[in-house]
Parts: sequence; C-alpha cells; structure tokens
Amino acid sequence: MKLRRETAALAAAVLASATALGGAAALAADLRARAARTSHQLPPTDPWWAWPSSPPPAQVARGRTLFLNSCAHCHGIDADGDEGPDLHDLQVSDRYIARTITRGIKGEMPSFAKKHNAADISALIAYLRSLPSG
Amino acid sequence: MSELVWAKMHGAVVHFPVALSLCSAALDAAGFVLGTRPVARELHRGGRFAMVAGTLGSAGAVISGLLMTKGDWLGHGLLRWHHAFAWPAFGLLVGLATWRVLAGAQPARRALGCYLVCAWIAAGLVMATGYWGGELLIRSSGP
Repeated sequence: MKLRRETAALAAAVLASATALGGAAALAADLRARAARTSHQLPPTDPWWAWPSSPPPAQVARGRTLFLNSCAHCHGIDADGDEGPDLHDLQVSDRYIARTITRGIKGEMPSFAKKHNAADISALIAYLRSLPSG
Repeated sequence: MSELVWAKMHGAVVHFPVALSLCSAALDAAGFVLGTRPVARELHRGGRFAMVAGTLGSAGAVISGLLMTKGDWLGHGLLRWHHAFAWPAFGLLVGLATWRVLAGAQPARRALGCYLVCAWIAAGLVMATGYWGGELLIRSSGP
C-alpha cells in the first residue's frame, strides 16, 4: 500500500515537473513574442543549442580601437552617448547591430559598409557587448 | 511594468530557494540519520515544509526572471551559465516537492534515501544557479 502510494507520488512528481517546465517555456515564448512586437528587438540568429562564448580580449581591444576611430565622435569615447545614443546594455541582437553599422540609419547615422568589413564589425560588436550595463 | 521592478523582485525571491532547498536537505538528512527517534519525525516535517516553501520561491524566481529578461530562457554568456543550472534545479524542485507532499509524512526508508540524494542534487543545482546569478550581478556592475 505504502509502495503504491510512493509510486503514484513519483508519477505525479514527474508530471508536475514537466508541467512546470512546459509552463515556463510557454511563458518565455509568449514574452519573447510580445517583446518582438513592441520593440525593435530581433530574435537571435544562433541556434538555441549553440553555446556562445565570451569574445576574446584581443577582439574586444580591437573593437575598442575601431570604435574610437569610427564611432566615438558621435557616441562618446566611452560609448555613453553624445550626439548619438548611449550604447551600453543594448537589448538588440548582434545581427541588428551589424545591420545598423553596415546600412546606417537614414538621416541619423552614415553607413560604414565601405569602411568596415565583417571582421571589423564582429570586433565592434564584441566591444559593445563588453560594455558594463547600467 | 518596467524590467527594473521584475529585477528587484527577482533579487528578492531568489534567496528563498537557495536557503530553503539547502535547509530542507539538511533537515531531512539529520532526520534520516536519527532514524526512528521522535525528533526525526519533526526534522522530516521541517524538511518537507522547507522543500515546499523553497519550491514556491523558485516559481517566483523563475517567473520574475523571465519577465525581467523578456522571456530570454537561455541568453548568452553568464546568463547562459545561470540558466544551465536554473532549469534543471527548477524542474527537480517541483518534482521533489510534489513527491514529498503526496508520499505522506513517513515514506519508506529506501524511498526517503533516494529522495535525499535528489534533494542534495537539487540544492547543489540551486546553489550553482545562485553563484552564476551573483557573477552576472558583479561582472555587469563592476568597473
């Protein structure tokens, strides 16, 4: 009798665990969909199973150099904003940042497609991601 | 509501699962060692209460965390590490609390032994989640 009760409790526990995780995943999906509708945030392009690694310090340093040459006169030397906006704690995807750098923003920011190649843009993104939030 | 409110709420509730899951595992372990002595029953009762309360706290932490990050259930960098431990910990805590409530006040010793192993694993996962959460906070507000 006791064993039957414990086995039934185990089945209920597995069910409750799966329900809780499923509910959390559903809530996450709903929140992501809402965020995508109400902001300019783009969904990440990386597959969910890919484990992103922190950018190497050398790439961040190179990004900082490129930033000082191309971006600092509008965004400030510490990227905290001047003529252009503060770039700390960007809530946009890497793809969005790369697209903004290459295409520019009409009437606000020039295109840097001719000045910076893909490697430069990756370094710039690495530098922007390394900026402390807040 | 702004993400700042959810961030504050997340910071407030995460301490409940950290403290209570560890407390629950410790109380149940003590009760398990003491066997049939009267105090063991009280220790198991405390362990059961702490597990249920810790799990409720973990649900609050998960919900506020998802609201704070706009549904980013994996993230990147340190957040990915935080989540790598958070999801297994949450699933395990919910399962353990459910089993503990439904299995009655005095489950069989062997079943309780298996439960205890899982409870310590859950406590370890919760602590690892807390560690990476702390790293997120320290490194993102550091110099």
